[in-house]
Amino acid sequence: MKGRHETVIDKRPVNLDLASFRWPITAMASMPHRISGFVLFLAIPVVLWVLQESLASQQSYDALQILLSGTFAKLILWVIMAGLIYHFVAGIKHLIIDVGIGESLEGARRLAFLTLGISAVLILAAGVWIW
Amino acid sequence: MLKVSIYRYNPEIDSEPHMKDYQVDTGGKDLMVLDVLSLIKEQDPTLSYRRSCREGVCGSDGMNINGKNGLACVTAISDVVKGNKPLVVRPLPGLPVIRDLVVDLTLFYQQYEKIKPYLINDTPAPAIERLQSPEERDKLDGLYECILCACCSTACPSFWWNPDKFVGPSGLLQAYRFLIDSRDTATSERLADLNDPFSLFRCRGIMNCVDVCPKGLNPTKAIGHIRKMLLQQGV
Repeated sequence: MKGRHETVIDKRPVNLDLASFRWPITAMASMPHRISGFVLFLAIPVVLWVLQESLASQQSYDALQILLSGTFAKLILWVIMAGLIYHFVAGIKHLIIDVGIGESLEGARRLAFLTLGISAVLILAAGVWIW
Repeated sequence: MLKVSIYRYNPEIDSEPHMKDYQVDTGGKDLMVLDVLSLIKEQDPTLSYRRSCREGVCGSDGMNINGKNGLACVTAISDVVKGNKPLVVRPLPGLPVIRDLVVDLTLFYQQYEKIKPYLINDTPAPAIERLQSPEERDKLDGLYECILCACCSTACPSFWWNPDKFVGPSGLLQAYRFLIDSRDTATSERLADLNDPFSLFRCRGIMNCVDVCPKGLNPTKAIGHIRKMLLQQGV
């Protein structure tokens, strides 16, 4: 039975022109949640390497500090911080919905706006802190 | 005159789907999208779409209207078209297109079948009927009204990527409808059927389903309640 559907899907077109769809704010808040999760995953080796260098010796610590004061390094740090902040705030939003707050469309919309707003403020603050 | 752009695909002549533009004289009235489609069908009888009751009861004419899924018969032009923008009608997303606005709903119906959409009760049948208190009956409100139009499941990215494994918002709403029915005795079996990485847990709560449901139902909430039931059963 499964095989039959695979052949059907292969031959027929599917309307998945994502740019033509209208996404509600609740979906717009979910997309960066996943992207930030991916950013965090990619950041793991970078952050572990930074931690290791900072602890290895006085010399490596000093070298690291010079390296991380460059604009490009700061930009990378900011992106990692942004990912961490967004993933954290959006994760809290999920916990709030799990305890039964914001299960309605209106409630979820408000939570999505809050998630985007709070994250934007915190990400800007992290940028100020890094620079 | 209303500008209308419609997704056209005829497997017998087209190798690829394309958008075709029409001009429709609405007579200055705020018609329903289905009325616009029937006016176009007068100009161009080759246009195909499903429809039946034309009043939001049967769920046949679900389609993607200006980027949002809905029933053409209960969606007014003014609900979706702002200013001089065109009305854009595409088939429901994520399912194979048979022709024009008609999609193959087999995968959608298979998910519905999977949740066993009928009461299961192994206790002896009473002489007349299985009674429910008004409170028990109230729990079914917001669940039993689903008309299986597929607007929700085909608005759900999790369903697009795994239509064979993720039950989807419509199926899960129905699953919850039977899980909390006081007359159903198969609760633990039903929960066990959903307890895998795909059937239920592919839901990320983005609420596209709630956003589009023409009946104003809330599958995301039902999914949350099933998750709670699974948790309670697990501890």
